Amino acid sequence: MALSRRDFLSQLPLTGVGAVWLAAAVSCAKDAEQATEPPALPHDAGAPARVLKVLTPEQFQVVEAITARIIPSGDSPGAREAGVVWFIDWALSDVAADQRPVFDAGLATLAADVAAAHPGAASFAALTDAQQDALLRARESTPFFETMRFSTIAGMFALPKYGGNAEYIGWALVGQEHVWEHRPPFGWYDRPENQQALLGRVL
Amino acid sequence: MRQRVDATGPRYAHDEAVDFVVIGSGPAGGSVARELTRKGFGVVLLEQGRAIPATEMEHDEFGAFIAERWTNKSDTQPQTFRASVRDAARRRQFVGYAMAVGGTSFHYTANYWRFRPIDFHEFSVKGGVPGAALADWPISYEELEPYYTAVEWAIGVSGDVSGAADEPARSRPYPLPPLNITGPGVLLAHGCQRLGWSSIPAPMAILSRDYQGRSACHNCGFCLAFPCEWGAKSGTNHTMVPEALRSGRCELRSESYVRKIETDAAGRVTGVIYFDADRREIFQRAKAVVLSANGAESPRLLLMSKSNRFPDGLANSSGMVGKHFMFNGAALVRAEFPHEVNGHRGPVVTRISNQFYDLDPALGFIGGSGIDVRFDVPAILTTLSLPRDEPQWGEAFKRRLKTWFTHSALGYAHTTSLPVASNSVSLDPVMKDAWGLPVIRTTFREHEHDLRLYRHMQGHVRTLLDAAGATALHPQPISDDPGFTVHLLGTCRMGNDPRTSVVDRFHRAHDVPNLFIVDGSSFVTSGRGQPTLTIQALAFRAADHIAQFAQRGEI
Repeated sequence: MALSRRDFLSQLPLTGVGAVWLAAAVSCAKDAEQATEPPALPHDAGAPARVLKVLTPEQFQVVEAITARIIPSGDSPGAREAGVVWFIDWALSDVAADQRPVFDAGLATLAADVAAAHPGAASFAALTDAQQDALLRARESTPFFETMRFSTIAGMFALPKYGGNAEYIGWALVGQEHVWEHRPPFGWYDRPENQQALLGRVL
Repeated sequence: MRQRVDATGPRYAHDEAVDFVVIGSGPAGGSVARELTRKGFGVVLLEQGRAIPATEMEHDEFGAFIAERWTNKSDTQPQTFRASVRDAARRRQFVGYAMAVGGTSFHYTANYWRFRPIDFHEFSVKGGVPGAALADWPISYEELEPYYTAVEWAIGVSGDVSGAADEPARSRPYPLPPLNITGPGVLLAHGCQRLGWSSIPAPMAILSRDYQGRSACHNCGFCLAFPCEWGAKSGTNHTMVPEALRSGRCELRSESYVRKIETDAAGRVTGVIYFDADRREIFQRAKAVVLSANGAESPRLLLMSKSNRFPDGLANSSGMVGKHFMFNGAALVRAEFPHEVNGHRGPVVTRISNQFYDLDPALGFIGGSGIDVRFDVPAILTTLSLPRDEPQWGEAFKRRLKTWFTHSALGYAHTTSLPVASNSVSLDPVMKDAWGLPVIRTTFREHEHDLRLYRHMQGHVRTLLDAAGATALHPQPISDDPGFTVHLLGTCRMGNDPRTSVVDRFHRAHDVPNLFIVDGSSFVTSGRGQPTLTIQALAFRAADHIAQFAQRGEI
């Protein structure tokens, strides 16, 4: 944490109920400082080797391009930087092996639509963002797109060991942290001064 | 050779009758094993799941919710579902539970509400409901109260009811103060205060202080459907089962899947037949059996244990085994707030309101509700819950994700469910599991009175979130198909009359003197949403009586 808990506490006015709470909180903080790590925190398995299991190199490019339209890059990393396509490749080889026909058929149809709409384009991956979005919008309600959307979201936020969410950048996007503990205050509402304002007391 | 959890405990021979075989190591079975071994009895504790070490307790949402990492498996143990007996059952996983030593307490949220007196005698107070088999329990709140207290102190429940006027009598306060309040807890307190509703710190089976050698909660936020890597959540895997093993009289056999409770010509249980991890069939003899496999698996096992003497399934002369399947109803509203809630940090629930616990039947239904405000699931499922009328992909979708995650919370009314005879667990006549055994077939449709209750409570939840300052409300549609359930209740109901119930007031099967059934299946009514403390208190009470019966030679 950028701001230590004790620094934060020292900025608060020590009055009334708040002072009692602070006394308790400071003693909690001391306890926490003395607490040792648990006997064994879970293994934090790293990302697997990036070797394609199911997708062809051509499919890889197209699937990656689709995920990058579902959660685009920009000010912050998107599905491409998170390596979501690697998650999808793993899932199709494992927990979602039964989805392969949907994927294969959907990719084949997409390739045909690309060829029809953009003769000469190498693949979906070579189109502009706007061209890609138009093709995806046209199939928003298909099982293929719904599967792509679901697996993009799953790959963005599943543990890195499943292939996506590289270095937890998916979690960082929404504000979920890769830590084993949090300390109060957790958010705006439970800050003592805001509890005092909302409730007239600190719970 | 698989690693044994308890390398130093006793080994009971298969062909010598152990005092008790206990089936299931969850809140019921784990507690019964602990209590019986502490009283000097020998126990073989059978658990179909594995003993899962802390090193595997990752914050793995994909595993927990999607890949069935710690729960019953749809590929090896499929299920079927139908809305009514007239419909064809179709393959569908409807019943969920954790599959691990600790049973569902391995991954529970750890809401540890007591039932209140009205839950035990609502039928007498309010009368019946057409199409439902509402009945009183054969025991009262007062009778169970000492066991509620015993459980709360045995595992360390955090809470405080000292400021509440409408709480039922209790013999001791909670052993631990409340957990740190979170944003959703403050929002509930704020809304309630503005509306003049009562609210109290949530009673939780999570340690707010170090207790009995276990670590206090570190507020990691991964509770609902996750195991606790700190051991601060008081599942039986962290409490009852290790204590039973330390007695030196309990042999835990994990990865043991029971297929039949065997009986003799006299109608007494002789032992159980189970598959071990290598799918070898083993017959373990026992003087008595305690069945605590959960409210879906217990009736299934009884129905699979039919014999010439018990052609309709064991302990089923009443025909009530598997009937009256209850869950707990729910009315949900997601709300957005102007500031960071960050409910993903800290326990899922820290404050509740019992303002609507006991509702007036003049409203057109019988029942009631307890309310919390929470942040319940991590990034994958919270992202997927974004309202469907908003962008579902692309730049606008991405921009929405952060505030949807950090600035929203879920208002949750937990409710009663009426016991309906046709709502049931039975054996699917066609589908088999990976061991060749008939799978669970659920038949379920919500009672119209319950649907009215859910709609009524959804109104109150909206009012609450509005008063708490919500800037947008997203109510979840209410339908007569609950979709999926983890609260498994009522399927071997307790009662004094052998014609209308499966077990007596001491959990002994009416039909079989040395068979006891203790878990959510014993419930006569559903309670207001949080059944686990009552399951565990019933287990403490049952063990107390079972031990006395055994000591008096009455088993």
